[in-house]
Amino acid sequence: MAKLLNEDVVKQIEEAFAPMKEAVHIMFFGQKEGCSYCADTQQLLEEVAEISEKLSIEVYDLDDDADLAEKFNVDKAPGTVLAAKDGETVSDYGIRYAGIPSGHEFTSLIQDILLVAGRDSGLTQDTRDFLKELTEPVLLQVFVTPT
Amino acid sequence: MVQAEMVEATEFQELSNKYSVSGVPQTTINDGAANITGAVPESNMLAELKRIIGK
Repeated sequence: MAKLLNEDVVKQIEEAFAPMKEAVHIMFFGQKEGCSYCADTQQLLEEVAEISEKLSIEVYDLDDDADLAEKFNVDKAPGTVLAAKDGETVSDYGIRYAGIPSGHEFTSLIQDILLVAGRDSGLTQDTRDFLKELTEPVLLQVFVTPT
Repeated sequence: MVQAEMVEATEFQELSNKYSVSGVPQTTINDGAANITGAVPESNMLAELKRIIGK
């Protein structure tokens, strides 16, 4: 299959990934039927993961791996989880992508990877203090279009 | 406690319709407790969350 990322783009991402501190693990959930963008998304993520030794990827199926999908609150395919990885320990930072992260969202994906690699949200102390006191889960869904 | 999901609106139209997405980005908090169109600076997000959670 032809590559989705051309050499120039790979080079740019390589430069962006150079300061990556810690490892980031990508969990991809596809689905066998009725998923127009699963194959492209999987390929895109695999090409990104190849760019840095600090990145790893595991491919799952929303139906075959239903228990894991539920554990990580993934209910759409293609579904992508960006997690921290320290040794064998995977830590969920609550970052999800539903659908293909292309266009503008490809930039978000690269930035999110760098954010997780840095292990720092960059949020203000005010926000951190508020979030620490949360007793109920919060779900933020940001609707975007790829262009 | 916090999960943030990017949703590609054209792939998941049913969900986009449910939350009446008309412009992007739209940030939907807790299944429609708030729907904000456009960029959301951190201070606005914090204020919005405080309002919803009631603190």
